[in-house]
Amino acid sequence: MEKIRIVNLSKRYGKVIAAHAVSLAVEDKEFFSLLGPSGCGKSTVLRCVAGLEEPSEGEIYIGGTRVNSTADGINVPTELRPIGMVFQNYAVWPHMTVHDNVAYPLKLKKLAKGTIKTQLKDALYTVGLERLADRFPSQLSGGEQQRVALARALIKEPEVLLLDEPLSNLDAKLREQMRFELKDLQRRTGIPILYVTHDQSEALAMSDRLAVMNAGHIIQVGAPAEIYTHPANRFVADFIGLMNFVPGRILARSGEEATVEFLGSHRLNVIDRSDLSGECVVAVRPEDISLSQTGPIRCRVEVRNYSGHLIDFKVRADGAVLRVQTPKTAIYQEGEELGFTIERAMLFAVRESSSEGIGPVDGKPFAT
Amino acid sequence: MTTAKIDRRYLLMMAIGLFILLVILYPLWQVFFRSFVDAGVFSLKSYRKVFSYPSYYRALFNSLWVSAATGALCMLLGTLLAFLVVRTDLPLKKTLRSLLVLPYALPSFFAAIAWIQLLGPQGYLARIFFHFSGWDTAPWNIYSAGGIVFVLTVHYFILVFITVAGALERMDASLEEAARGSGANTFQIMSKITLPLVLPAILAGGLLAFIGALANFGIPALLGMRARFFVLTTSIYYALAIPDFGLATALSSMLVLVALVSMAFQFGIQKGESKYTVISGKAVHPSELKLRAIKYPLFFGTTLLVFFISIIPIFSMFLTALFHYWGAPLAAANLTLGNFVYILKLEAGRRAIVNSILLAALAATITMFVGVVVSYMHVKAKLTGSRMLDFFATIPYAVPHTVMAIAMILAWAKPPLSLYGTLWIILAAYLAIYLPFAVRTTHATLQQVHDSLEEAARVSGAKLFPRLRDIILPLARPGMIAGWILVFMPALRELTVSILLYTHRTETIGVVVYNMQDAGYREIAAALASIVMVLLIVGNVVIRKLTGGVTGF
Repeated sequence: MEKIRIVNLSKRYGKVIAAHAVSLAVEDKEFFSLLGPSGCGKSTVLRCVAGLEEPSEGEIYIGGTRVNSTADGINVPTELRPIGMVFQNYAVWPHMTVHDNVAYPLKLKKLAKGTIKTQLKDALYTVGLERLADRFPSQLSGGEQQRVALARALIKEPEVLLLDEPLSNLDAKLREQMRFELKDLQRRTGIPILYVTHDQSEALAMSDRLAVMNAGHIIQVGAPAEIYTHPANRFVADFIGLMNFVPGRILARSGEEATVEFLGSHRLNVIDRSDLSGECVVAVRPEDISLSQTGPIRCRVEVRNYSGHLIDFKVRADGAVLRVQTPKTAIYQEGEELGFTIERAMLFAVRESSSEGIGPVDGKPFAT
Repeated sequence: MTTAKIDRRYLLMMAIGLFILLVILYPLWQVFFRSFVDAGVFSLKSYRKVFSYPSYYRALFNSLWVSAATGALCMLLGTLLAFLVVRTDLPLKKTLRSLLVLPYALPSFFAAIAWIQLLGPQGYLARIFFHFSGWDTAPWNIYSAGGIVFVLTVHYFILVFITVAGALERMDASLEEAARGSGANTFQIMSKITLPLVLPAILAGGLLAFIGALANFGIPALLGMRARFFVLTTSIYYALAIPDFGLATALSSMLVLVALVSMAFQFGIQKGESKYTVISGKAVHPSELKLRAIKYPLFFGTTLLVFFISIIPIFSMFLTALFHYWGAPLAAANLTLGNFVYILKLEAGRRAIVNSILLAALAATITMFVGVVVSYMHVKAKLTGSRMLDFFATIPYAVPHTVMAIAMILAWAKPPLSLYGTLWIILAAYLAIYLPFAVRTTHATLQQVHDSLEEAARVSGAKLFPRLRDIILPLARPGMIAGWILVFMPALRELTVSILLYTHRTETIGVVVYNMQDAGYREIAAALASIVMVLLIVGNVVIRKLTGGVTGF
């Protein structure tokens, strides 16, 4: 059953269009992420679901109930929506103890004291805060405040949990750890999550499905592996993970296989279901390039960056600079003449139509 | 349920709108309207009167030149002191700075009284001067235009000091270092780089001092009326005593006009100043100028100045309160606590204290409540129309208090609802004049409460009143208490509005001090003023503690 359904949601601020005809659905028990660069409209969509912003157009359903419809003039206020939400800055009330923060939603429901006590104990146990109940937020670490916000969002047993970049204020180590904890929490409670982030590795790691957004549009929806291996266009390919882009030319097609010429006169057969022909962009992931002494495409190692679990190279081949990642055992040095083979590549159009909502691609698409 | 929620917030806004209409807009409209009406028809008679009688147009002229002279002197004194205290290695800068601000924490008519005690014909400093010089008349006269300008300057220079000191502190030190790197010497840097950069701040501060002097009543009333030297505010007081409402409203409209024009200029300058990116909000530490050989002479001079303008007047007030009679030789036998006992036993004195405390507490409470609602609607809820409300609530900031008092008489001292002779009309005037302060402090306080804290309450299921009660108000409490005291303290010693609106039984502390001084009972006036001064200083300490030194004087 769909826990959140958004139909044709648009939000305009004056002339600025923050979200444009966004439609998506979050299933029960699903961890769904909205991923995109800052200003892409992902937070606007989330805030519309929360009722903190009013859509300019469209409909929103939560747990099967219609909470927004511009056509029928429905806009259920935030306080009546069956949602829990965690904010980027946690928004833990500094004048209340952990206990009072977490119990507040139940107090508003005017539940019996005994009921509140039991539920509070459960909620604090769920996030591992039972021993800090009498502390004030100023006495807690960032991670602990985060958990208070989570417990407060969960305690009223909402239909859905909305998370707005909840990990972005934590330091790197804690952020990694919280990824596992959040996912574990979601598995235990079974609550569907709509998660907003600009961090692609976070979205890939935690989501069951994710939607990549740019300039107010949803570009692609899918499971993390699907989006990583089959990006819908160059923007997604560039935004998710690392990607090398090299200009090329399609010489021939047979079935789903295209023969492309690039990096001088090198040829490669690529699986490609599009109908591209002629000039194109060849995209290759750094881990899909194998360096060797004898590889057919000759190159020269310009930079070698050791990063522990792998080694990051920048190599120059026929005027283009490519990023290559190898296992930590690679012994190549800067300045060395090598060769490489490409195990897997993707093809994209040189110009992507703006009706797909593609903004300028960050960074340089063509290496020089 | 959607409509019910919106209605409730707009209902609250309408109630506040009605309040602002009754205590601000309608009374001010009455002033403007009445200045153009004679015997029920449109007429310029009142304005013609102002410009055909020398005593009236001279008042306008006097107001302009006295305020201009005050503004200029304040710019000189304030800028000089700001430079010394912010940009040099003068010893004890922090102490000097907090002492400099002291005179402004006390009401201006207290300053006038203190300086009469010091420089008047029988004054302490005058007597010391006679003793050493052998003269028997002083070469100065405190009851004169010069005396007014002097006391106004001592009272208002701090406005220039604060704006210039702020600009100097925010100035990027690298600008001066760049000049030094180009081979400029200290004097060249100061005159070619630093001074031009802080010039907008100097002008803005000078205009603030000009506006303050223009609107001041206590100082020209105590120092000028005896010498038949009138300015606009005292002429309005005089016109009301006649009473000639046409004349009073015409003079008032002109006073408001001058104040508004100056305020527009001041606003323009400050807006222009913020366009300079060089003076940023960043906490950079400009280099300190080494004073070298002139360090101790300057320190001595500054300390002496601070001693004279900050400490001596307060000391003089306490001393006067202790004398059996004004002018008695300084000897232990002539000292007494009798004046304090007298004023506390005097029925009018006791009544004034009760009235003032009641009025100040009510004014502080009501304006803070209205201020919170206005600011909440504007800063947090961002409702349509809240901007307008905010603007109307801050209008009295530009209106001299004398004019506000007349506005109350015109609006609320006539049938069917005559409040004249009651405390309510004084309260209405207090509400109008202190509302802008309340709105400003609650604005700042609510802006510090992050939006997500309220949003988290909404997500938790809290409707408007629960989230105001449980989240917004508790978080804004420290700022609101400070704001409450910031209204309570000036209201406690208010003079300008009270002197025009009081009748028998509705005296305030300010009125009693003024009348006692005016009638020659200076030691009694000083005793009551001393009690108030202690309260004000204690209040200031409390505010500074509450806000961590951000607000308060």
